[in-house]
Amino acid sequence: MTRHTLIIALALAAAAACKRPPPKPQPGDPLPGLTAAQRAQFDSGRAVFESTFTAPTGLGPLFNASGCAECHESPVAGGVGDEVERHAAVFHPDRPGFVCDQLAAVGGPVFQDSVTAALHAALGIDREALPPGVTTVAARTTPDIFGFGLLDAVPDSVILSYADPDDKNGDGIMGRPNRFVDGRIGRFGRKAFVPTLREFNDGAFQVEVGITNPSVPEEGTVTGRPLPPGTDPAPDPELNAHSLQLADAFVRFLAPPPPLKQSREATHGRDVFMQVGCAGCHVPVLRTGDNAIAALSHQEVAAYTDLLLHDMGEGLADICFGLATPSEFRTEPLMGLRLSTHFLHDGRAATPEQAIDLHGGEATRSRDLFRSLPAADRAALLLFLKTL
Amino acid sequence: MRRIALLFVPLFTVPLAAAIAQQHTAAPPAPPAAAPAVPHDSVRGAIRSIDVRSRTVEVTAGVGYALRVVALQIPASVSITNRHGSQPDVIALGQLKLGDVVRAQFGGKAAPFVVYTIERLGRMTTGVDSTP
Repeated sequence: MTRHTLIIALALAAAAACKRPPPKPQPGDPLPGLTAAQRAQFDSGRAVFESTFTAPTGLGPLFNASGCAECHESPVAGGVGDEVERHAAVFHPDRPGFVCDQLAAVGGPVFQDSVTAALHAALGIDREALPPGVTTVAARTTPDIFGFGLLDAVPDSVILSYADPDDKNGDGIMGRPNRFVDGRIGRFGRKAFVPTLREFNDGAFQVEVGITNPSVPEEGTVTGRPLPPGTDPAPDPELNAHSLQLADAFVRFLAPPPPLKQSREATHGRDVFMQVGCAGCHVPVLRTGDNAIAALSHQEVAAYTDLLLHDMGEGLADICFGLATPSEFRTEPLMGLRLSTHFLHDGRAATPEQAIDLHGGEATRSRDLFRSLPAADRAALLLFLKTL
Repeated sequence: MRRIALLFVPLFTVPLAAAIAQQHTAAPPAPPAAAPAVPHDSVRGAIRSIDVRSRTVEVTAGVGYALRVVALQIPASVSITNRHGSQPDVIALGQLKLGDVVRAQFGGKAAPFVVYTIERLGRMTTGVDSTP
């Protein structure tokens, strides 16, 4: 009898364990469904991502941070940060084919805020100066990068399916893709300039940390001037191909933070979100396409973005970038929004409500509808946003 | 005295001649001015400036936000292949426009680098592989 009872109890416990859904990934966790080898890459890549570089190991001579995790830090590696950096470009609306000069010839578009001791000693500078004639400088905050591997796996065709540059459906929302300098469709960065996650990561090592690598084997210039001799003692590339690939794997395999369980009020807020037209740009779900990595293949990601450019109005305008005019920005993914402490591309909004209030351009109608909502509906929508 | 002086002459002249001979042997032969070098790099990006008179173009390229500008000199003997249309054809330098996406192979030690092949692939505004 006792033995029977024990067997039954064990069987019930086993059944319960089988039925229990796998725990949802928390911020910083890997995507579910990775192979053992991919999981090992993720773990090793985290170590590269969390590395702190010094001048002898390649830091700088111009840099914004001494490692990836210095900025992407909260609540864990890959998260948001409080750093704000400078981007600059010059807009030439009267120059067809070259309306946006990203100042690539003179150290742009990212102008670093820190220098190594050697560069300071050689040039007496504390940060990279902006070239003459630059009138607009954009502030850029550090977003979280959770779920970006899934965004990378969304086919171009999906992005293009949301584009309506001539507003043929008459809803006031256009949306058009940005393009990289070689014509490919962009999706990463606040202006959707960079086509792939790998390129964004590889470029960021050099631009943000001053770490050359097989993809970007040369250091940048100091506002267009070559580095003074002796200021960059580490041999190039300062990061080898294997470490670069591991860092990319870590970023690529970071799971998106799963939305929190929604209360009844938050569920109502989601309905309001749809009713006032937020989802016209903040598309709730994107679907990935074929991918060699099963965990990224044919997955749904609650990204709340269309990865397209939209005119956000003159109030938010700063720099051009690729095809993006100063007032055009990529729809910011709202996944992981609850982890942010500042909002919009430059962090000027302290709350999601302020951010909504600052929307203009194509979002004017939705913003105005939000403003005119009963207080309870506004509160419900904001509560919904806190679950993302 | 005179004989002694004559004996010393080879002591100085022979090593000197040998050194000169060695210098001539060690120094690589100067390449003829028009000798082609082997292309050592390639670039794909958007044209940001064109100077038809000097036959030079500047191309913006890069990886992510790590952008660079590559100055290219296109010899008159190099054809510019237009692959943007339905059939590839050859176009003149003056037909290239700002914002055209090109792919080029080039060589040389300093900018402007010498182009060996160059193709026009499309325009940045409308893309290369897919269009909005």
